[in-house]
Amino acid sequence: MNMAAGNALGYEAAPAFSAPLRFFLTAPLFGVLAGVLLLVMPELLESRWTPGALALTHLVTVGFMLTVMLGAMFQILPVVAGAPIPATTVVATIVHLLMSAGAVALVWGLGAPAPDVLVIAVWLLGAGCAVFFVAAAIALLRVPITQATPRDMRFALIGLGIAILLGLTLAMIIARGLALPLVPLLKLHVGWAWLGGVGMLLGATAWIVVPMFQITPPYPAALTRYWAFATFTTLLIWSATVMYELTSIEFVIVIALVALAGAFIGNTLALQRRSRKSIPDITQRAFQLGLGSLIAGLICILVSYHSDSPLWPVLSGVLILHGGFISVMLGMLYKIVPFLAWLHLTQAGVRAPNMKKLQPDAPVRKQLIAHAITLAALIVATLGVSAWAGRIAGMLMTIEFAWLLNNMINVIRAYRRAGSA
Amino acid sequence: MTSITELMTHDHRACDEVFATIETAVAKGDWDKAGAALTAFGEALEAHLSAEETTIFPRFESASGMVDGPTRMMRMEHTEMRRGLDNMRDALERKDADDLSGEAETLLILMQQHNMKEENILYPMCDNHLSGEMATLGPKITSQLKASGA
Repeated sequence: MNMAAGNALGYEAAPAFSAPLRFFLTAPLFGVLAGVLLLVMPELLESRWTPGALALTHLVTVGFMLTVMLGAMFQILPVVAGAPIPATTVVATIVHLLMSAGAVALVWGLGAPAPDVLVIAVWLLGAGCAVFFVAAAIALLRVPITQATPRDMRFALIGLGIAILLGLTLAMIIARGLALPLVPLLKLHVGWAWLGGVGMLLGATAWIVVPMFQITPPYPAALTRYWAFATFTTLLIWSATVMYELTSIEFVIVIALVALAGAFIGNTLALQRRSRKSIPDITQRAFQLGLGSLIAGLICILVSYHSDSPLWPVLSGVLILHGGFISVMLGMLYKIVPFLAWLHLTQAGVRAPNMKKLQPDAPVRKQLIAHAITLAALIVATLGVSAWAGRIAGMLMTIEFAWLLNNMINVIRAYRRAGSA
Repeated sequence: MTSITELMTHDHRACDEVFATIETAVAKGDWDKAGAALTAFGEALEAHLSAEETTIFPRFESASGMVDGPTRMMRMEHTEMRRGLDNMRDALERKDADDLSGEAETLLILMQQHNMKEENILYPMCDNHLSGEMATLGPKITSQLKASGA
């Protein structure tokens, strides 16, 4: 263990509040835009292939999810891996600007569709990711691997990097007619993004977060030791079956991937049932909704392999993205933001109000209920009942994300009040 | 031979278990039980912090030469944790369930992000520098931790 790792424990190494916060406050704006888009064009849930549906999906995935994940990474890498990102504030500012502008260009380029704007998006997102990944790699290479989480964090970052590279390639195929097979690459893009990137990041974080914050027994050692490696390897094999169109083998590998995802989800739910915390807190509830939705989404994926209906891929997207990943992210945001506010006040020598004074439970609970109702509305809308179902889902989604932003802004207000008192 | 990482990580989890009993008692409105649980937790926490401050940290500092490094930061966080514990005691005395739950939530997160840093970074560093001394250091740490009965 070297000095760099030791230095990660210093207050000096902790990133400024603004570094993660700028990402957290930007992300809900993309969620609001996604809601407005669905409100105006409720037919977007009919098929995953329309330009509007691609725009909607990427408002949620790149605009909301990737933005939250990048912000969290600036905070998480120093704490769980002892790997502070060098020149954090500068890197965070550059990455945030490039990625936010890139997300806007991507959504515009896909939705309009506008090939020239899509090319600009590729440059902006490519540059933003390059800066982030180089900085994260420098941080991680400086510390040796001693625990499961820092190691799996590396797998997740590589998985996310592969998903993004595939995405950028797909954008160039659409914008410039690059002579590469669109459909298999799209399949790989989705698989790597869901499981290789977000799924593995969730796993790597859960090994630590679930036992510590929900006071549960640890995950089984075999799971934390082999899960990320097995998932990564299986994704590679799956990629080969997709590229070489080995359809029957592909389905078997997909079952293996679903089983791996299921093993993580099942173990997490089982641990949470053994939590010593007598009252399940908000994060735990959000986790349960998220994990339940992920299971339902995985079932839809399996069904989609045996059905030509456009319903199943869209439904799996709604369940996995909105119901699964966003639920978990909400749960984490509601812990991270008030804690950071408290921490930065304390470090500034202010006697900080406790977390529940900075962020009362009631508005958080209400926002999460709005999120769950939105999910239900999205599912109904996907089933194609009527255009009004889509509009209602869009309206609810707009409210949900505006509410999230408002809740976070209220924490910042309480933080400022306490700081100036 | 048990490492510092194993020994202290195990004690972190033991402290967590005691911590959880406070919330359970408060949720049931059993203030006597909550008071007893908070006392037990206070003792377990203090035994853990003082084992670090009086035994592990000084040995690490002299073996590594890093006096102003990670241990200084950990000591500062210990101060915050003790203050959090005082706030909980204060809320318990006033039988203010909301305030107690807010203080408990804050202390839990502070404690766990502190534990993560120790378990992932500092303890492995300690093991690197002190593995040769574990025959004497191990039993001493164990007896200090046991003093609380947790």
